[in-house]
Amino acid sequence: MRETNPLQSRMLFFVFSFASGLLLAFILIPLLRMYTTQTPTSLMRIAEMEDVRSAIGLSLEAAFLTALLAVIFGIPLAYILSRAAFPGKGIVEVLVDLPLTVPHTVVGIALLYVFGRTGIIGQPIARLTGLNFWGTISGIVIAMLFVSVPYTVNSARIGFESVDPRLEKVARTLGAGPWRVFSCVTLPLARRGIITGLMLTYARSISEFGAVIILSYYPMTAPVKIYDLFLQSGLGDSSAMAVLFLTVVLILFIILRQLARGLGNTGNKPS
Amino acid sequence: MSFPALSLERVSLALGAFALRDISFSLEMGQVFVILGPSGSGKTMLLETIAGFYKPDSGRIRIGDRDVTQATPETRRIGFMFQDYALFPHLTVAQNINFGLRFRRKDSGSAGNSRIRDLLAQLGLERIAERKPTNLSGGEKQRVALARALAAEPALFLFDEPLSALDASTRDTLRGELKTLLCELGITTIYVTHDLTEALIFADRIAVIRDGALLQVGAPADIFNAPVNEFVAKFVGTDNVIEGRVLSTHDGISEIELATGQIVEAADNGATRSSRVLACIRPEDVVLTCAAPTNSGARNRFSARIVNIEALGPVLKIHLDCGFPLSVYLTRQSFLELGIAKGGQICASIKASVIHLIGCS
Repeated sequence: MRETNPLQSRMLFFVFSFASGLLLAFILIPLLRMYTTQTPTSLMRIAEMEDVRSAIGLSLEAAFLTALLAVIFGIPLAYILSRAAFPGKGIVEVLVDLPLTVPHTVVGIALLYVFGRTGIIGQPIARLTGLNFWGTISGIVIAMLFVSVPYTVNSARIGFESVDPRLEKVARTLGAGPWRVFSCVTLPLARRGIITGLMLTYARSISEFGAVIILSYYPMTAPVKIYDLFLQSGLGDSSAMAVLFLTVVLILFIILRQLARGLGNTGNKPS
Repeated sequence: MSFPALSLERVSLALGAFALRDISFSLEMGQVFVILGPSGSGKTMLLETIAGFYKPDSGRIRIGDRDVTQATPETRRIGFMFQDYALFPHLTVAQNINFGLRFRRKDSGSAGNSRIRDLLAQLGLERIAERKPTNLSGGEKQRVALARALAAEPALFLFDEPLSALDASTRDTLRGELKTLLCELGITTIYVTHDLTEALIFADRIAVIRDGALLQVGAPADIFNAPVNEFVAKFVGTDNVIEGRVLSTHDGISEIELATGQIVEAADNGATRSSRVLACIRPEDVVLTCAAPTNSGARNRFSARIVNIEALGPVLKIHLDCGFPLSVYLTRQSFLELGIAKGGQICASIKASVIHLIGCS
């Protein structure tokens, strides 16, 4: 392979490296610039605010619940898409990807009609169970789930597709029923894809703003609170909270990545 | 009353572009039954139907005295050996072997552990018990897969072309090893392959399959020497299948006029007088000499032109024109002694006893 790698060409290597460098700078510079606006004192002051801390906590918690729901409902669909051929499969695939293309404010409005105070599902559920999607963490989770679940479905599907169906067949002949085959063979072998999907879903959920702010302005998640600070107290406070939130999220993802690497690398090397 | 180890009665199944058509056979305990056929002939589908991955549209499947036609794969007690063995990559060798044990045995505790130790010892796998399958050699994988299947105490082994993806020398080694193991274990086995050599090495009986139907079932020698139609003949290496007409039959000798006008005599009176037949001549049964032999018992002699020479490694295949085309195998030594060259003349002798006749109705 090495001999045919186009990167062996000096000119191509130079052009590609330059473009890549620009792209990385474009990602890094705004974030770094934001960090330079802050001092330890300004960060401490904002971190001491109770509503800032609870907003960050709420974001992490809601995203965690979202990831949990995404696994419960996303894995069955991912498995069906990876194994079954059925009429209308193309339509289902488009449906799964749809949330990625719909503007998030639009998502919020659409969800309001269904899960809002007078929504077609929200109203009967509120009446029957007291569970309210308007102005609660439930509403936040619903909004996050809608925009982020495609990542779980698509990544888990890739994970399932990497599992040789003959392994499932051989497990059946060895006496394992369908549920045991799925839990003892399919799921562990697809875990890398599933974990990747969960990380992406978690990340996407934490960063969601548009759908959340429309369905559930209160209680405030971190992105909503940052916007609120921007409107109420200006750029200074909002960028202080932004830096704080970003730091928390970055540390969290470094830890999660390490955990995922440990889980995903136990002997499941593609041969 | 004793039951055959496995029996299929008129099993039919249509699945997309593939189908199984009216398949019936039965296996005695301990027999190795080879299903031989080209790719796309329905071999794997037949195997997977026996394993329970597909339910037949009609017909019955019995394993021993159990009717398993509608049974799920996990209840059939079948050891399925896939090509490259499908070992669980996330489990160690010992865990792979334990997989079947978990579901089959109620006493999965200490009795189960000793069963694993026995299997590891029996197949010489103790040294690699804690390794993951990814980096095992082909032979090790084969033995782990066998041990894993044996742990589940199968009534029947099914092999789906286990050797076909290997390079020639590894294949020869593993083939020998597998033959020894199958003989030792004495478990009833169905072995699917497209390779005639494998079929002849393993089989107690052979079935030739094409387009989802069994064309011929019989002992290896029967399939090899007395194919029932042109497809089977060609598939078992009878290159020369020539159309003809029976002129007369007397004293066990049939006189055949070939479509190209030549007369051959065949010691096969299965075909009736004046019926149309196919004369089958295996390329290794033709003897070549420089001049017409004076003391040969061969009834059929033809003067032939050498059309082409193919070097096949251990042997050479000589394509002759005797008025009809004839392929002949020669050893390298004979080839040199006869001084064969393309375009030259040679004499081809065929004994009446090596010509097999297939009747055309």
